[in-house]
Amino acid sequence: MRSGRLGAPWSAAIPWAPWKRDGGPLTVGLETIFGNSVVTTKIDDVLNWARKNSLFPMPFGTACCAIEFMGLVSAEFDLSRFGAEVVRFSPRQSDLLMVMGTISYKQAPILRRIYDQMPEPKWVLCMGVCACSGGFYDNYCTVQGIDDIIPVDIYVAGCPPRPEGLMDAIMKLQAEKVAKMSVLRTRGPEAPAAVAPLASDGGAVTARPTHESPGP
Amino acid sequence: MNDTLQRLSERFTDQLLETSEAHGDPAAVLRREALLPAIDFLRAEGYTVLEDLAAVDYLTYPLPQPGRLAVMYQLHDIERRRRVRLKVHVSPPDVHLPTISNRWNIADWLEREAWDQFGIVFDGHPNLKRILNHHEFVGHPLRKDYPIKTRQPLSENDSLVDEMALRLRTNGVLLPRHDREILAAATPFSDHGEPAPPGNVSFGARGGASAATLEAVEKLTAGGAVLSEPEFYTDLHTDLMFLNIGPSHPATHGALRTFVALDGETIVAAVGEIGYLHRGFEKTTETQCYNGVIPYTDRLNYVSAILNNFAYCKAVERLLGVETTPRCKAIRVIIGELSRIIDHLVCVGTNLVDIGALTNYWYTFNVRERVYDIFDKLTGARLTNSYGRIGGLARDFYPGCTEDILKVLVDIERSISEVETLVKQNRIFLDRVQDVCSVDARTALSYGWTGPILRASGVAYDVRKAYPYDGYDQYDWDVPVGSVGDTYDRIFVRMYEMVQSVKIIRQAIKTLPGGPVNVADKNVCLPSKDDTYNNIEGLMNHFKLIFEGVKVPPGEIYDCSEAANGELGFYVVADGSGRPYRNRCRPPSFMAFAGYPEMIEGYMIADAIATLGSINIIAGELDR
Amino acid sequence: MSQMSSTTFALLVTIGLAVLIPGLLLWLASAVGPRRATPAKLEAYESGIQHVVGTARERFSVKFYLVAILFILFDVEAVFLFPWAVNFHELGQAGFLEMFVFIAVLLVGYVYILARGALKWD
Repeated sequence: MRSGRLGAPWSAAIPWAPWKRDGGPLTVGLETIFGNSVVTTKIDDVLNWARKNSLFPMPFGTACCAIEFMGLVSAEFDLSRFGAEVVRFSPRQSDLLMVMGTISYKQAPILRRIYDQMPEPKWVLCMGVCACSGGFYDNYCTVQGIDDIIPVDIYVAGCPPRPEGLMDAIMKLQAEKVAKMSVLRTRGPEAPAAVAPLASDGGAVTARPTHESPGP
Repeated sequence: MNDTLQRLSERFTDQLLETSEAHGDPAAVLRREALLPAIDFLRAEGYTVLEDLAAVDYLTYPLPQPGRLAVMYQLHDIERRRRVRLKVHVSPPDVHLPTISNRWNIADWLEREAWDQFGIVFDGHPNLKRILNHHEFVGHPLRKDYPIKTRQPLSENDSLVDEMALRLRTNGVLLPRHDREILAAATPFSDHGEPAPPGNVSFGARGGASAATLEAVEKLTAGGAVLSEPEFYTDLHTDLMFLNIGPSHPATHGALRTFVALDGETIVAAVGEIGYLHRGFEKTTETQCYNGVIPYTDRLNYVSAILNNFAYCKAVERLLGVETTPRCKAIRVIIGELSRIIDHLVCVGTNLVDIGALTNYWYTFNVRERVYDIFDKLTGARLTNSYGRIGGLARDFYPGCTEDILKVLVDIERSISEVETLVKQNRIFLDRVQDVCSVDARTALSYGWTGPILRASGVAYDVRKAYPYDGYDQYDWDVPVGSVGDTYDRIFVRMYEMVQSVKIIRQAIKTLPGGPVNVADKNVCLPSKDDTYNNIEGLMNHFKLIFEGVKVPPGEIYDCSEAANGELGFYVVADGSGRPYRNRCRPPSFMAFAGYPEMIEGYMIADAIATLGSINIIAGELDR
Repeated sequence: MSQMSSTTFALLVTIGLAVLIPGLLLWLASAVGPRRATPAKLEAYESGIQHVVGTARERFSVKFYLVAILFILFDVEAVFLFPWAVNFHELGQAGFLEMFVFIAVLLVGYVYILARGALKWD
């Protein structure tokens, strides 16, 4: 018998077996014949396939990048090929928050609130250098990157990024983040925030630029 | 001497400190006591429009000045086509000036901005509070002693109840106790360590309707009450509902906030808040060379970025005394008009989407992509092009550019006519935009409106015709002017302006002269690459121009161009170095949005949304 | 089942599907969807503003209610016209005349509200 909790005395050569484990994940029953395909697959894969091909973007457009996003959803570049056609301006009905444009300190609590009001699962796409790092506005009123306020899943550089660049980012998000979600890992208490948690809901937003934070 | 300056100096002999007519821009420096009399005198003379009001901090200026802070008032006589600028100096700690918000509606917001950025207190202003920076900001960022990177985060947005209470009183809206309690309970934030400027009612700490706050709200709102409370409640009077439209809202094009008081669906009072996209254009560009400011100007009105480049370059060129080449002028006209067309396409397309006519969005945006292809080939970028340079352009046309442009003009004309055919006789569209939010010419001028929205209200003022530049007077074109000033007029003025722009571009391409695009002045324009790489003088010239910037001798100028939204002005103060000392942008959207709350009162929310699209607020320009 | 006519059966199938499919989707969303409750998610959305002023539960004008009621009245009238249209031939002349009387009665009501200005918004 092999080592491991469930020994697998049957080899890969046999077409069907009650269970199989040859180097990959455990496969049971029919899966041993069909593998991870259309006939037998994991629940996670089905759900993630549905989720990634029907992203509902919430365009939080403030500046020039929003115009390039408008170009992206127009006929020439057409984001709806990837399923993300229905833009929902309500955070309740969307799952992809696209921050497009400069976020000033005045706008920061609004952004945080919109992010908080979105139901899970949600992803954040940060479009343009102003949202990623403040852009070339290094001054008293511009947040130097929205990752000081909300956790970001994917950054798109550019001023503004071309629509093709944004489309590439959404495709990467689909392939790497959405497709790898798991049902089991998304339930439970509130996910730990990527930044210092707020004192109370709606309390102080302490924007701490990462490159200016004090050393350990 | 200029006639107006002559009369001013006769009238205010000892209070007039200085007059100047450098670069054809008349200006006078006055003592503070003479400000109001001088303004009234000039208004009587015909200078009935307040174009701009801006402050300057002369702390590090090389030439001595009568006071550290100065406020300039740019006045404009539309009929006789002349301008004059008045300037008064104040020195901290005494930073008081009389308000002129009772003379012009736009002075309200302009003075708030001067208070916000410089700390100048305008006595008699109804509600002097911050406008671009958030309400928890401490300090005045555009002063020279405020370090540019001192950041101040915000914990919670302003609830705007104080402005709403004031507006309700101004409009004479009857408020029952219930609504007054709601306003008092939503009192903003506690005092933040800064003494409230005079005229500003400071509310107590938040957390409930204390007797003091209730009293304050009562005082503010009791002005219009005609019924007593028992009488109010015997009949079927309705309560008001307070709603925030924006700043994250699909129909606000950009980050704008309107706080409205609704009676059912009708707006009885509205308050606008801006500053959500304040990116510090003015302070940041003080740290850049003159040519380095150009990418920042791209992002002002980002849907027609090149027009902003050209407007800024024109102001600095005038200050330098440099005349661009004929080819440069013609190319600026061609590319500028093309930018104007794409701006109007966005405005019309998104406005119609807000009304519900979704198809037009595709028609207008598809043709924009073709124009973007041309800009991409010409400048290297689709949207934020940075095509203008001081003294010329970044590069000349590529071979075949004029053919491409002529081809795209055919597509543009077809799109415009398709959109027009779809909506012009559509009953639903006409009901939604005709006689909706009409603005008469007097109100429009009092708000300092310019551009298509002013022309829709019946005032035939276009900077290209009134103060022709870049050879606009040699082309044959018309200016569409509306009559009623409703949303219908605003939409159609833009559509017909696009048709006129196409006409101008065709004529300009036909008469496009040859020659260089850059001025042959080595202090202004970069040398050719041949010179830069092959001889030391060229290299040094290039080096100095890039690192130190174009040196502009000390002086100041207010110059404007017709941008897509109206008169885009730049008030540039130069101190002899290669960086602007003060770079004030006079944005047309600021004036438009200042008039927006008054415009929508009395109409329904749907009308307000349709109107917001028609005035084409671009937040990048509004907040800078 | 055997005594049921085909239309009743079809109706039952439709109702069954109408209950089953949305119920299945809602159950699926709650069963496999993420569950993270935060206070912000339960508060009203008002364009990102953190503390809203007042509520939406205020006294508003009765004209909204009036429009709704009038709509219901005339909508129900239209609903009654449908079965008559389906059985037009069977009901014959008598049915035709009766429907005219029915519409005439409601027309009197319509003229009344038109004259009273109940259809004017302001």
